[in-house]
Amino acid sequence: MEKELGNVVTERILPPTEQEVSNEIDVKVKKYMRGEGANLEVLKDKKLKGQLSAIEDLYGKSAKAAAEVEKWLMPSEGGYLETEGLEKTWRIKQETISHEVDILSRRNQHDIILPALGPYSIDYTSNGRYMAIAGRKGHLALVDMKDLNLIKEFQVKETVRDVVFLHNELFFAAAQKKYPYIYNREGTELHCLKEHGSVRRLQFLKNHFLLVSINKFGQLHYQDVTTGSMVGSFRTGLGRTDVMQVNPFNGVIATGHSGGSVAMWKPTSSAPLVKMLCHPGPVSALAFHPNGHLMATSGAERKIKLWDLRKFEVLQTLPGHAKTLDFSQKGLLAYGTGSFVQILGDFSGAQNYNRYMAHSMAKGYQIGKILFRPYEDVLGIGHSMGWSSILIPGSGEPNFDTWVANPFETSKQRREKEVRSLLDKLPPETISLNPTKIGTLMAVKKKEKKTKKERDAEEEAAVDAAKGITMKKKTKGRNKPTKREKKKHEIIEKAKRPFLHEQIKEEELSRKKSRLSEEVELPKSLQRFARKKTAT
Amino acid sequence: MGEVRQKKRQEKEKSTGKKKHSKVFLKKNKSNDKRRLNRRGPQLAPSIRREVGQVKEDTESDNYEVSDCSEGETFPGDVYEYEEAAPEEESRKNHRYDTVDNYDYELPDHFKDEDVSSDDEEIDGRNGKGNLTEDSDDDNSKKDDGSHARMLQSITGMPREAFEGKKKSKIVISEAYQESEYNPSRDVLDGNGRISIEDLLNPLQGKPGYSMLRKRIHQTEKKSMALQAPLPKADQEKVERKVAYEQSKKEVSKWEPIVKKNREASTLYLGEDVDLGYSTVGAIASEFKPRTEIEKKIASLVHDGKIMEAHKNDGSKLLELNKVSFEDEKDRQNRLAKMRSLLFRHEMKAKHIKKIKSKTYHRLLKKDRVKEMSVQIEMDPDAAKDLAMKQEFKRAEERMTLKHKNSSRWAKRILSRGLNAQDEGTRAAIAEQLHQHANLTRKMHTLKDSSSSSDESSDEEYSDDQSADESNSRASKLLEKAKEKTLKALEDGEEAPNSGLLALPFMVRGMKKREEAAAEEAKLAIQEFESLSKQLNNSEIENMDTETTNGRRTFGSMKKSAPEPRKKTKSEYYDDTEDEDDTQAGEAVGYDGDNNKSSLFADANIDSDILCEDSKTHQNSVFKSFDETVRDPGPKTTYEVAIFASGTWKKAKDLEKRVDSKPSPIVSSKLEFQGQVTKETMQDVDDQSDSDQELMVDGVLSSANNESYELPSQSDLIRQAFAGDDVEEEFERQKEEILNEENPEPEKPVLLPGWGQWTHVQKKKGLPSWMLKEHELANKKRQEALKNRKDANLKHVIISEKLDKKAEKLYTKTLPFPYTEKDVFEHSIRMPIGPDFNPTSVIGALNRPEVVKKSGVIIKPIEFEEVDPHQKVEEHKQKGQKQKRKNGKTNHGKSAKKMKKVGA
Repeated sequence: MEKELGNVVTERILPPTEQEVSNEIDVKVKKYMRGEGANLEVLKDKKLKGQLSAIEDLYGKSAKAAAEVEKWLMPSEGGYLETEGLEKTWRIKQETISHEVDILSRRNQHDIILPALGPYSIDYTSNGRYMAIAGRKGHLALVDMKDLNLIKEFQVKETVRDVVFLHNELFFAAAQKKYPYIYNREGTELHCLKEHGSVRRLQFLKNHFLLVSINKFGQLHYQDVTTGSMVGSFRTGLGRTDVMQVNPFNGVIATGHSGGSVAMWKPTSSAPLVKMLCHPGPVSALAFHPNGHLMATSGAERKIKLWDLRKFEVLQTLPGHAKTLDFSQKGLLAYGTGSFVQILGDFSGAQNYNRYMAHSMAKGYQIGKILFRPYEDVLGIGHSMGWSSILIPGSGEPNFDTWVANPFETSKQRREKEVRSLLDKLPPETISLNPTKIGTLMAVKKKEKKTKKERDAEEEAAVDAAKGITMKKKTKGRNKPTKREKKKHEIIEKAKRPFLHEQIKEEELSRKKSRLSEEVELPKSLQRFARKKTAT
Repeated sequence: MGEVRQKKRQEKEKSTGKKKHSKVFLKKNKSNDKRRLNRRGPQLAPSIRREVGQVKEDTESDNYEVSDCSEGETFPGDVYEYEEAAPEEESRKNHRYDTVDNYDYELPDHFKDEDVSSDDEEIDGRNGKGNLTEDSDDDNSKKDDGSHARMLQSITGMPREAFEGKKKSKIVISEAYQESEYNPSRDVLDGNGRISIEDLLNPLQGKPGYSMLRKRIHQTEKKSMALQAPLPKADQEKVERKVAYEQSKKEVSKWEPIVKKNREASTLYLGEDVDLGYSTVGAIASEFKPRTEIEKKIASLVHDGKIMEAHKNDGSKLLELNKVSFEDEKDRQNRLAKMRSLLFRHEMKAKHIKKIKSKTYHRLLKKDRVKEMSVQIEMDPDAAKDLAMKQEFKRAEERMTLKHKNSSRWAKRILSRGLNAQDEGTRAAIAEQLHQHANLTRKMHTLKDSSSSSDESSDEEYSDDQSADESNSRASKLLEKAKEKTLKALEDGEEAPNSGLLALPFMVRGMKKREEAAAEEAKLAIQEFESLSKQLNNSEIENMDTETTNGRRTFGSMKKSAPEPRKKTKSEYYDDTEDEDDTQAGEAVGYDGDNNKSSLFADANIDSDILCEDSKTHQNSVFKSFDETVRDPGPKTTYEVAIFASGTWKKAKDLEKRVDSKPSPIVSSKLEFQGQVTKETMQDVDDQSDSDQELMVDGVLSSANNESYELPSQSDLIRQAFAGDDVEEEFERQKEEILNEENPEPEKPVLLPGWGQWTHVQKKKGLPSWMLKEHELANKKRQEALKNRKDANLKHVIISEKLDKKAEKLYTKTLPFPYTEKDVFEHSIRMPIGPDFNPTSVIGALNRPEVVKKSGVIIKPIEFEEVDPHQKVEEHKQKGQKQKRKNGKTNHGKSAKKMKKVGA
């Protein structure tokens, strides 16, 4: 009864719309608070408490302002297909969609047939404005997707396996027969990266300015494109693969291998961060959700698995074979096999992916690569006969942040952004599984004690060194054999001494420890008198 | 001077004397307070009083008369006069001044004091009871004295004078001075006729504060106690200090709220209110006002409207005349600057080069020059001609003079002595000379020959430029060479060691297998070479694809016999290999060798497996490898197909046949499955036969659309798809390895053989207990470490626990000072405060420094202001970022200031 009354009162105070707004903002504020503040009650230091509470207030204010900004400046919401009754979303064809959408969107539905130069691989810039295509038989092209204008097209007359944009549309790298090359927008060859060898797959880390490649010997190379230095280069030791994908959340590179394992790498260590057995057979494709917590893998045994990367557990196993996988910005998962594309969606919000849409190409087209276009509801498909683009409602992020990526970027803005992003370039060692932990307290490193054997070996070496010392020839009286012997003995003893000291110290420590443990084990009746340990 | 002042005073006294005397005896209530005050006034020493006694009596009596007539008169300036009079009295005391004779008021001799007292009595009776009673007592005592004398006379019989003399003397004693408020009468001093507090209090009755005053007086009367002796000095000082401390504490504590506020403030604003004044020349100039005459004149002239106008017009005209286009001017300047800098640079460079003495440098310079020349020769026919001429000239000269042909005297002498007799250096010099000569006299065409040969060798890489015939011949040569080599290798690799590790049976088996594989490989290679050579004969068409052969060869599937037919078919269908490929055949052979090796390794691995697991027989391993051969082509072909989306029907069929043709009862089911797979891939590939297409559609759609499609159980599926593939086991093994690497297993304790074993009894005892204990402890530790790993419970995950030393600098090493809790610290840094993550409205507040001040501005000391300590926090919140305060600089400054205030 009271509750009801309370509700009535609040409703009287706030009109329903306003209340809705405030609720919405509350949710967003929570998002922008990035977790809860520390429990200040624990603190004994009043000054620190005061400072922290002041800072916390500021954070709250900032979060609120950010939420309001988001509320009023980013109003568009992503939609998706909704059906009535018996209709199913995956039965809706592209043709039906094209009747319902505006002209500009309709332009995004197209098939470009380029039969001559083999299966095509595609890549989009981070703002979704430009697309690079690479035909296996040497066809490289740059397309402005806004007006479908071909910027540059050229033939390199050798196999091109992959293409990837660098930080903006001015540069792109192509993995060619022997080496990867970097071209500029005009098609001028800028660099030939011979160190990488015959590269199978390329990736670019935008925040770290690292070009990552895996070559046919299974070697992983990280090259800094700003300085040209090779940041990391090591062999995976897991055989040849062309399944490599970067986790956009933390910059970790994942490679899928024929043994069914997926390995995750960072440039500063030659051993994989994580190695997991995902499939019993070869891994055929790999994709990461933009939030970095979800990974999709597909194996040759006709299974697609969704992994929770926080727990390294399977969330969902779906039937189906995928030659290529991709997550959209809004979290739709597309996979392509043969000439068929299937899109899965997670509309329940419980990491439960269901069928959302499907699209089949003309018979016989072999899909090589599918890629969602950023900030557009478009899925690009590179296949054996050219490339296609289809509409997938609800796939792209509707609100773009011009500080992150601007699809309508002017050249001046692009220049500005380049400089800014260079200034904000992250060093390669910031790549780790959980980048949010950076800046926090380092985990206490356990001090590695030397084993007894090692110590003995060291002592022996020291003694040997002491024995090896050649004695000076002294003057008459002091060169007696007895004296020499004595001196020698002394030197050896001296060499041994520090080790003895160490040993003694250790023994003492262990004795102390044992004493401490004895102390702790008081009889139960006396335990309550023992000094309580301060809570740490 | 003292005399003059004294006289003045006397005169003054004369004029005011009357008033004074009249006042002394005013016993009105009004003057009562004053009386009390004056009681403490200066008094004469008793000796002087006695001396002057007689004279005073007279003056006093005179005073009384006067006072009677001027009774009732009061003067407002009484207090002042007292102050004037005080030094006078002192002067008397010191005898530096004449005694006051009071000649004006000479008293008659018969004057008697008693009369006056009666007068006194009368007044007293009017005013206070106490006084009256005292006076009456006085009278009584006089009477008593008389009767007493009489009594004494009667008793002793002595004359009356004897007794009265005493009395007389008593009477003689009188006041040394006239009675005034400064020297009150004796009885007043003795306590008779004293003015009590009540007397003073009574007239105040009914006034504001009266009751309180009375109460206090009551209290004091009640608690009347004796005054204590003064404290010792040290104690006194202590007390004083204490009081001073209290006082200063109060003073200081008033600063507390301000200081607290400043300390707690997240930002201090210093010198905010300081106006820095003019900032630009224009601003200063605009303030200028003409003051002097000349300035005014100039101003009037300058600011005259007409002149301004004229100047404007004229100026614009002049400017128009002067017009030189901006670009021209800039251009000219640029040109000049460039020229100047070029000249300068050139000069500097020339100077620098001139100074260099290094021979190496000059040699290099020469070399460069020569190179340049040679380039020029190539590019420029004229230069080439020039050079040719020059060289021709030189050659001619050499031939003519034979300068270098041992014709010099030195050479002749050496030759005459015999070359063998000479030392090394001389011989070399002679040889050099001869060489030079040979060079100079050599014919020109030899040079050309050498260049062409080098061209040939370098051209090999640019096969496109070469004619097809040439390349073909070269390729065939290469092929043949490769063939020979492989054959040789086949023949060579027959020897096997008869002893040692390699002689063990399983090793022998492994070797044999390896040999077999190698032989197969070699055969394959030879066949391929043959096919290639065949191809070479009829290959005319150039095609883009260069991937095929190389890609396949290096793929590692060569170790099986299966690929052979496929390759053949492939070469039939895609007889499009480029000559580039052909030239790289040799290279390919090299790759083959690699692959051989790798395959060998793989086999060796299998062998080791067998070693490890005794249960597995050799046959099994054979099957395994067999399976692999079967399995591998599946994805392989799909890959191929993806590349060439053209007719590969036959190829696929071939594959199928091949698969079928492998009769093996054990693996038949797997083969079936494999066949299925190949069929599917084949179907995928084929875009010509309709029926196949349908099949494909079925296949794909059934996998994608039909969720209810009944799949076999998971384990079945895995077994079917990857039969014999022990992926999981391998992964577990890898994990074990990594775990062992990161947490090494403790070594088993061993004793040296024979050590400590004198008899068989000791042998029975086994290892010493401490060794076992140590081992156990180490084991336990390891188990603990393994249990604490993140991947302890994840069977199929290995999470590396290696510390990244490079990344260590990104973490905080120790908890920063004010924090005591890790949790609190980590929460406090969870929010990014940069401009990328926060709206601009709060970015300032988030990043404001602790102290905001203008540079170059003197910071004023802290000022006192009222601060409500309780309201402060809210105020802080309200003000937010735009908070402006005047504050002290630092803590130190503040404290200094405080001290200053206390001192003041």
